[in-house]
Amino acid sequence: MQIHPPTGAASTPPITLAPTPAVLAGRRIGILDNRKPNAGILLTRLAERLAARTGAEVALVETKNAAIPCEDQVLGRLVEEVELVLTGTAD
Amino acid sequence: MTVDTTGSPTDLLEVDDDADLIEVLASHGWGDGLPVVAPTSERVGAMLAGCNGHDPEEVVASLPPRFGQATRLAIAVNAVMAGCLPDHLPVLVSAVRALAHPDLNLRGVNATTHCVAPLLVVHGDVARTAGYHGGLGAFGPGSRANAATGRALRLILLHVAGATPGDGDASTQGGPAKFGFCVAENLEASPWTGYAASVGVEAPSAVTIHCGEAPHNVHDMESSSPTGILDKVASAMATTAQNNACISQGEYLVALCPEHAATCADAGWSRGDVASYLFQRARLPVGELKRAFAHRAWTPWMQSLQDGEAAPMTGHPDNIRIMVVGGAGRHSSVIPSWGMTRSVTVPVEP
Repeated sequence: MQIHPPTGAASTPPITLAPTPAVLAGRRIGILDNRKPNAGILLTRLAERLAARTGAEVALVETKNAAIPCEDQVLGRLVEEVELVLTGTAD
Repeated sequence: MTVDTTGSPTDLLEVDDDADLIEVLASHGWGDGLPVVAPTSERVGAMLAGCNGHDPEEVVASLPPRFGQATRLAIAVNAVMAGCLPDHLPVLVSAVRALAHPDLNLRGVNATTHCVAPLLVVHGDVARTAGYHGGLGAFGPGSRANAATGRALRLILLHVAGATPGDGDASTQGGPAKFGFCVAENLEASPWTGYAASVGVEAPSAVTIHCGEAPHNVHDMESSSPTGILDKVASAMATTAQNNACISQGEYLVALCPEHAATCADAGWSRGDVASYLFQRARLPVGELKRAFAHRAWTPWMQSLQDGEAAPMTGHPDNIRIMVVGGAGRHSSVIPSWGMTRSVTVPVEP
């Protein structure tokens, strides 16, 4: 017996991740707090430690709602002002 | 489980005739755990007849998080597996269009830890011609059209959208509505105009997708006035346990049984009157909501409310959607939405 696979082809996702900088010294780190519980605390501490270890600086903290896509204005500010963004904690 | 997402619906898979099809599918990460009808070319071809010659390869929608291409062919394959008939396919194709509408926020619906499932409501002529059930026991079990179409929509989410538990679906506990959640509006027993027309969709047949929890029962045998019934509906809405409670765009689908709806209509209440009353009565103290939720996705006017005041459970009466579902008896239900989603109604088109 032959059957049709049920998945369908996959489209190219509408976004791709930017390459991660190889060296962080002198780079600016941004935090995108998705407002999940303790996300701000965790991401800020992580960014501060990363900055201290590498010579980067924490330059920008933004917030968004985890349930919906990030607003273009917020993404625009991050693109303008930082080279690395930490985000994405869950419940 | 690693999910096989490489297969195109046109690349046939060889399966031993005596193989356990559930296990074969499971080995690819496919299926919902229940027996399926084998999607052979003959069956899929017969299913596609339900779309009256429309291009099987046309992409109806691209569904996140996998961004799988829901062609009519891919939809038909899953329809066969779920046990649908060709008459159900236009409903399913239309439901997929609704799923992909940006207002519905399917990526969020699939990604959340909440138990949300898309409820497919069938309106108008197709409910009668294709056998969808809106009467006694409408939410199931018993109707092939409801059960198979609801299940097919879930299979499409699993296979095409990639909403696989653990990978594309983070729901903490899952839920029975995730197996299949489809019902017809009981227009014949409704004292009001059809739901689709009430939200601006004038078509002989339409579907609504409302992404919500499983139905919360509202029992009222006693009341002879709308307020008695609707105060109980309001009590089912007003709880801090729902995802909606801190989200002012959240919707509540209120599925009134025919007898409850008749009590309201006989007193001269329109659908809008019912929604307005529920907006007024389904409230919690602002202080209680603030204690329960550190972050509240409230509109500015709700943010300005003081602790001693009562906050509505949603930001506008239009977010309370009323339709008639069910048969004899005096049980209605409230289906709170996930919150960051809007229900979408579209005409049925193949």
